[in-house]
Amino acid sequence: MAPHPRKWFHAPWEFREAALAATLTLALGFAVQYSLGGAGITMPAWPLNGIILALIALATLTLGLSFRNHPMVQWLGGIPLGLSLILSLAILSFIGGMVPQGAAGNPAAMQLGLYSIFSSWPFALTVAIFFVNLGLSLVWKTIPFSPKNLQFILFHAGFWIALACGIFGSSDLQRLVVPVYEGRSTSRGLVSGEGRDVVELPFSIKLHDFSIEEYPPQLMFYDPESDRFIMAGSQAVTEVHKGTRVSWKGTDVEVTEFMTSAMPGPSGNPVAAPPSAGIPYAKVRITGSGAQPDTWLSTGGPGMRPYVAGIDSQILIMVPGSPKSYRSAVTLQAEGGRSLEAELEVNKPVNFEGWKIYQMGYDEESGRFSTLSLLEAIRDPWLPGVYLGFFMILGGNALFFWNGIKRSGVQA
Amino acid sequence: MIIDFTAAAYLSIAFWASGSLLGLAARGSAVMKRAATGLNLGGSLVMIAFIAMYWSALERPPLRTLGETRLWYAALIPLVGLLVEQRWNISWLKYYCMALAAFFLSINLMHPEVFDKALMPALQSPWFIPHVVVYLVGYVLLAASSVAGWHNIFLTWRKKNTLQNDAIGHYLALLGFVFLTFGLVFGALWAKDAWGNYWSWDPKETWAFIAWLIYLGYLHASSWKVRRLNLQWYLALAFLVLLVSWFGVNYLPTAANSVHTYQQS
Repeated sequence: MAPHPRKWFHAPWEFREAALAATLTLALGFAVQYSLGGAGITMPAWPLNGIILALIALATLTLGLSFRNHPMVQWLGGIPLGLSLILSLAILSFIGGMVPQGAAGNPAAMQLGLYSIFSSWPFALTVAIFFVNLGLSLVWKTIPFSPKNLQFILFHAGFWIALACGIFGSSDLQRLVVPVYEGRSTSRGLVSGEGRDVVELPFSIKLHDFSIEEYPPQLMFYDPESDRFIMAGSQAVTEVHKGTRVSWKGTDVEVTEFMTSAMPGPSGNPVAAPPSAGIPYAKVRITGSGAQPDTWLSTGGPGMRPYVAGIDSQILIMVPGSPKSYRSAVTLQAEGGRSLEAELEVNKPVNFEGWKIYQMGYDEESGRFSTLSLLEAIRDPWLPGVYLGFFMILGGNALFFWNGIKRSGVQA
Repeated sequence: MIIDFTAAAYLSIAFWASGSLLGLAARGSAVMKRAATGLNLGGSLVMIAFIAMYWSALERPPLRTLGETRLWYAALIPLVGLLVEQRWNISWLKYYCMALAAFFLSINLMHPEVFDKALMPALQSPWFIPHVVVYLVGYVLLAASSVAGWHNIFLTWRKKNTLQNDAIGHYLALLGFVFLTFGLVFGALWAKDAWGNYWSWDPKETWAFIAWLIYLGYLHASSWKVRRLNLQWYLALAFLVLLVSWFGVNYLPTAANSVHTYQQS
């Protein structure tokens, strides 16, 4: 705030004009969005997006260097406008954080783009001006170069690069869902989203084996009356292994035998079986108020009903553990002849021929016995640029941290 | 379990409580201050020793469940507070840090079953701990900057505020922002490996981004001609946004499809 009240639009422009400009940008964006019937904005694909980005960079550079001392250009690349646009972006993101994105709702809100705010016109226009503001400030701090501006340059250039590659590269991102069955091979991916278009990948994926590792099963009491699971004492869940004990209302349950993978044998007692076919079995000794002869429990599986034990009006059951990890053993075979054996797992994607292949899911109905593996193939040519931006931001922040400490001299 | 978590947790909390009381009573005595710091360190060392023993008993790093990750926060957050005190002479932050650590341990004491909650595969990642710890430290620092903001508003009202006090609030916000940025970027790098995309406007992501923008705004305001008191108000109120991104996201209409809500279906 200046000590003397300044009249509107008297040079040099400051916060008031910046706040007005940011507000008008939002208003214009929403007006365009509304008049186009809620149609958002789509980024053109390569090479057009690259050309547009290069032109914007060139224009920013020219404007910044040729009109360095022009008050209007200074305002355009200055902090007041930058701050106003940062808060504008926060407001738009706030809408995105409150309104379920991609859902359907009030028609007027739909038409304003509130349900797809991040591809809406107000968002695009705000980001565009923000981009110019950021670019100009960067040009001025970088040319002429001085080492003391390094943290500013790293942070702002990193942000500019990450933003540019993220936004302009979004149209070149390909995301395909690739379903593949054990023993089969495929090179077809389905485009994620609405259309379900099929895209031919430049390589084939053969699935040798899909396997799931589960956490141990859990003992629970089930109350048919209320259709609820009852937790024993404070232990909400009790992982089953040999020696597990649960107590509940005077009934004590102890697991005396535990088989991770077995099948019902001829005598009724389970016999060990390979993991691909077996299910967990536990023998329990029940003493106390609900005492009864030792009995087998099982989680049940395809074609095998679960073994349970009735205790008073409750039923003691064994619930299968949740998936701990699942993986697909695959061979990736490129058209050119290059091939790669890989284990795909959640959080461990594999790079092949410019694509990243992910373990995405499986047939959850069949659970452990699923022979279907859902993979995802993603191609994101602009990713190195985004990562470069990220690491520059982190570098700038590390310097920020360090210089801030050196400069501050705060004494508590 | 051979190793008794309850005993370890109470011992840690006792260390932190006695260290805090001694630190507050120390006034100018350097010997008492050192003893207090020793006790505070002791609390974290007990937790670290517990984690080490627990790790060897489990034969895997105790990073699988939310309850287990809280052990790490409880061990690390007070260390951050003590580090800040060592490096920048800000002595009151450590009390917040120890209170927060004690709070985390209390959650585990009250709900022992959290140790059994299995982590879904997407959360089993080397990024998990850095992402969460960096964020937590950032949140702690920004919470502290907000407290400093309120404190300074109050002092201004009593005509007792100094530039020094404003600098502490500013400083904590700056440090917090650095950690927030690291947390955001670590999260993006992790998301790329887990879900194939570094940014997908997940509600928690969106709110973290809003909080980041708000503090980015603060840093720009503070480097321009904005009145000191207005900056303190900014810091004091910015924390509300942080609270939403920290705890509030789960209660928003957008939360249903967030990867950050961890509700077992």
